[in-house]
Amino acid sequence: MKPANSIVGRLTLSLTLVALIGAVLLLLFIGVEYRISFADLSDALALPAVVHELNEHVVVPMLLLATPMTVTALWAIRRAIEPLEEAARKIDAAKEARGVRVDAESLPLEARPFARSINALLDRVDAAAAMHEAFAADIAHELRTPLTLLSLELDQLDGAKAERLRVDVGAMRRLIDQLMVLAQIDAERLAQMAPTPVDLGELAGDVVAQMAPAALADGKQIELSGEDSAVIAGRREAIAAALRNLVENALRVTPAGQTVVVLADRPGELAVRDGGEGLSSERLKILVERLRRADHASSNGAGLGLAIVARIMAAHGGRLATNPEQRELRLIFPGV
Amino acid sequence: MARLLVIEDNERLATLIAEGLAGLGYRSDIAHSLADADAALAVAAFDALVLDLGLPDGDGLDWLRARQPGGGPPALILTARGGLEDRVAGLDAGADDYLVKPFSVEELAARLRALLRRPGRRAEPVLKVGAIRYDTVSRSASVGGRPLDLARREADLLELLLRRAGQVVRRRSIEDALYRFDEAVTPNALEAIVSRLRRKLDEAGAVGQLHTVRGVGYLLRETEPLS
Repeated sequence: MKPANSIVGRLTLSLTLVALIGAVLLLLFIGVEYRISFADLSDALALPAVVHELNEHVVVPMLLLATPMTVTALWAIRRAIEPLEEAARKIDAAKEARGVRVDAESLPLEARPFARSINALLDRVDAAAAMHEAFAADIAHELRTPLTLLSLELDQLDGAKAERLRVDVGAMRRLIDQLMVLAQIDAERLAQMAPTPVDLGELAGDVVAQMAPAALADGKQIELSGEDSAVIAGRREAIAAALRNLVENALRVTPAGQTVVVLADRPGELAVRDGGEGLSSERLKILVERLRRADHASSNGAGLGLAIVARIMAAHGGRLATNPEQRELRLIFPGV
Repeated sequence: MARLLVIEDNERLATLIAEGLAGLGYRSDIAHSLADADAALAVAAFDALVLDLGLPDGDGLDWLRARQPGGGPPALILTARGGLEDRVAGLDAGADDYLVKPFSVEELAARLRALLRRPGRRAEPVLKVGAIRYDTVSRSASVGGRPLDLARREADLLELLLRRAGQVVRRRSIEDALYRFDEAVTPNALEAIVSRLRRKLDEAGAVGQLHTVRGVGYLLRETEPLS
């Protein structure tokens, strides 16, 4: 028989075995002590006396012994397991993906080696993730010089082909920018950047001012609408990067002659409305999860943008939402 | 012709930048290290520096911080960093502007033009953007050689937009520049001035150069939008 796969199950099994063995031994002992033989059991006159003897010397002591033993053992096990459950709850509740550790000292002595091994494993996982990020940032960094050379060489060429190549270089440049930002939002560096008061309306104005020349050069308009804004605690550059990403996406899908509107229309929220088709919640979810699923095929050139925006919002306790009817994407910050 | 010092250790990159800028009317000398740059600055005067950050004999930012606290030609930094918080570091160190790699020659030239137009740096009495010319001494403007008749605030606004051509000038900074702090500014006052200036520019032939970025500010573009 396969032993039950829980400690309580195993203990129940062991205690039952102990009780059985104890009962058998007691029976033997009493049988010898009182000279009870199997013949007595078939003797109708002797039977009540035998039953009485057995009750008094086997069943009652066994019950008296087994009941408190079972109760105490179950209690001890519950007590021992409680810290493990507590540790599990803490891990589940942890918001960060990084730096989560089990508090080994709070666990029973026997569970500590296991907890320490888990912590050592988490150390290695964190180190590997940090290395990947540093690597991504390094690659992005190293790519900039050859890409600059390419871009400057292209500037010396004329014609439609050169123009198409320039668009491609532009896409590569955006991807590199996104990789750099991504490497920084995940890294503990974002945690180290102390939150400062950020005026969302002010920030939206800065981003619009920054993006307007490129938008106008492409024959598109960009404007800021709404006076509502709020001062939140956050990382200004990260939030600006998130909004820039949304505006870049919006400009890409908006035909020439139309307008991209950045909205500061509700306290603690910023939105970007474009001339594209709007983005369904399902599609947004897919785009946001692209990083997690390591699916890097990009058909519409959205790159990693929305996944980055979602991460920046998550790091601020907020979220990225879509409103397809209004053709807008909205950054929602918490607690305003 | 403005004279630039390009401080960049990648020789091909330095040459491409110099060649590209030569086509747009800038004369560039090249320094491949900070030592070269110091030597060049000792013997010649430059209108602006184009500075790469990672140089073989040191960090460009440290060099800039040590070299010119407040003085010297304006510096435009070329950086491969471009992360979240590196952006501001360059400007704190005394750089006047920065450009994240990769960039095109047009972008670089546009930034340099803006740098050279900054007041107090290089005495440039005449501002030119496209067909628009503005003489800051006589405070007179012309489009394609024909003089414009501008009221005082229209002229102030034009000068402000010309100095920062290609960039959005925020409403608030225009209002601050155009009105004394004891003057009450009605919300529509600035819009009225802008629309008068735009009409005059349009009539004179500088069509579509003055743009409104609604909710944010105004922008004078160097060229007309491609269409």
